[in-house]
Amino acid sequence: MSSTIRSDVEQDGALRRVGNLPAWGVRALLRRRITNPPQAASLHYIALLMFMAATLCGQQPDLRGIWKAPPAANENVESVAGKIAYVPAALAKKHANRPDGDPEHRCLQPGIPRANYSSPFQIFQTPDAVYIVYQDVHSYRVIPLDGRPHEDGIPLAMGDSRGRWEGNTLVVDVISLTGETWLDKAGNYHSDAAHVVERYTRKDQSTLQYESSIEDPKVFQKPVKINMTLQLDSKGQILEDECVEDAKGSRHHVSPFKK
Amino acid sequence: MQGIWRNLQLSAAFNVEAHEETYGAPAGLSVIVDPPDGKLPYLPAAREKAKDNWEHRGRDPVGHCHMHGVPRVMVPPFPFRIIQDRDYVVMLHETEHSLRIIPMDGRPHLKDYSSWDGDSRGHWEGDTLVIDVTGLNGKTWLDQAGNFVDENEHVVERLTMTGPNTIQYEARVEDPTAYSKPWTMRVTLGRQPKKTELIEYDCIEGERDVVHYPK
Repeated sequence: MSSTIRSDVEQDGALRRVGNLPAWGVRALLRRRITNPPQAASLHYIALLMFMAATLCGQQPDLRGIWKAPPAANENVESVAGKIAYVPAALAKKHANRPDGDPEHRCLQPGIPRANYSSPFQIFQTPDAVYIVYQDVHSYRVIPLDGRPHEDGIPLAMGDSRGRWEGNTLVVDVISLTGETWLDKAGNYHSDAAHVVERYTRKDQSTLQYESSIEDPKVFQKPVKINMTLQLDSKGQILEDECVEDAKGSRHHVSPFKK
Repeated sequence: MQGIWRNLQLSAAFNVEAHEETYGAPAGLSVIVDPPDGKLPYLPAAREKAKDNWEHRGRDPVGHCHMHGVPRVMVPPFPFRIIQDRDYVVMLHETEHSLRIIPMDGRPHLKDYSSWDGDSRGHWEGDTLVIDVTGLNGKTWLDQAGNFVDENEHVVERLTMTGPNTIQYEARVEDPTAYSKPWTMRVTLGRQPKKTELIEYDCIEGERDVVHYPK
């Protein structure tokens, strides 16, 4: 068993190396694999070949599009995460969080994971990165896929993201978040110790499954797990959303359309 | 064109016309290439307003955390990233995390749109990326010196790679209620070193200050 796993790892490594080898090189590689198949189940082998084909064609799973989350999530994240188990002191703070204290009312960026359900967003992809552009206060994320380490030490409203593909799923690791963003309008919140792991999987043409796990031992007894389905908006456009705060501290979205 | 870029003629961020140095701002030659005298062809009333803006530079919308608008967003000392993805070119700016999504598929402009960074539509003319920008709100300045445009602004931008690490950026601005004729500015954008990343830039303090929101 262990030798099979190692063989797959080598296969993956070989794949990365072959890159743009001429066709004879690829054929030789395939011939070697076919005449000497691994001990693993043939399905695994077929999946590997499909992955190879996609890699050689430079294809990634396609997450492109404008996506919209269920509106209930931003009202109360527990609608997509279940009951949150706070540590006692944090639960008291959660109960003390009033709607007018919502960072949204100060025009702050929504943070992660809230950005994924506070407004529509559009995904763009290049071979070395995924980019998510959120309508909410024109925030965005650059998610490098090249394996570079996190930039740690600068607290960021939208955090520091690093991504990788696991099969058809984009897995994004997020750290360096501030403790200033909330999870919803209901006062659910996280601290600056939050570590978020997100999983984006396209289920079909019009749906994107979003799962995330928020580990934050300062406020949660166990990780909060969000799971929700986003719908494609094939005709929309991400519009400019400027947010201005008045002297009383209440928030105004400025419509980008003439009155 | 993919990568992280920044304007190399930073004096344009202070004043697009030729100007002497002032405290904290370097002198610079005009980046206006048409008309050839390098001066903005203001109509008389607009020239008066520009002078008044200069006297009241604290009104600069950028100083109140508003977005730069087009073409100003291309010239500040902040880097921005160009992404090319199938039917889109996307520009992600570090400053105020402003951004432009530029469809390249020939779809029409939005109607009745009015925003700081406008509604952009792009196409290729040979190796030149041409971007047509409408739906601008007319509240933006062109620089810190108070040069400005009004709500009838229409911009056509042309981005051409002049080497692996340089882009010639041109913006032709039409605005018949502020200018007697269209004018064109030109700057060079330079590719930023490999390790550059866009860092989050939040401007919050001024957004609290709606009193100064340009009317």
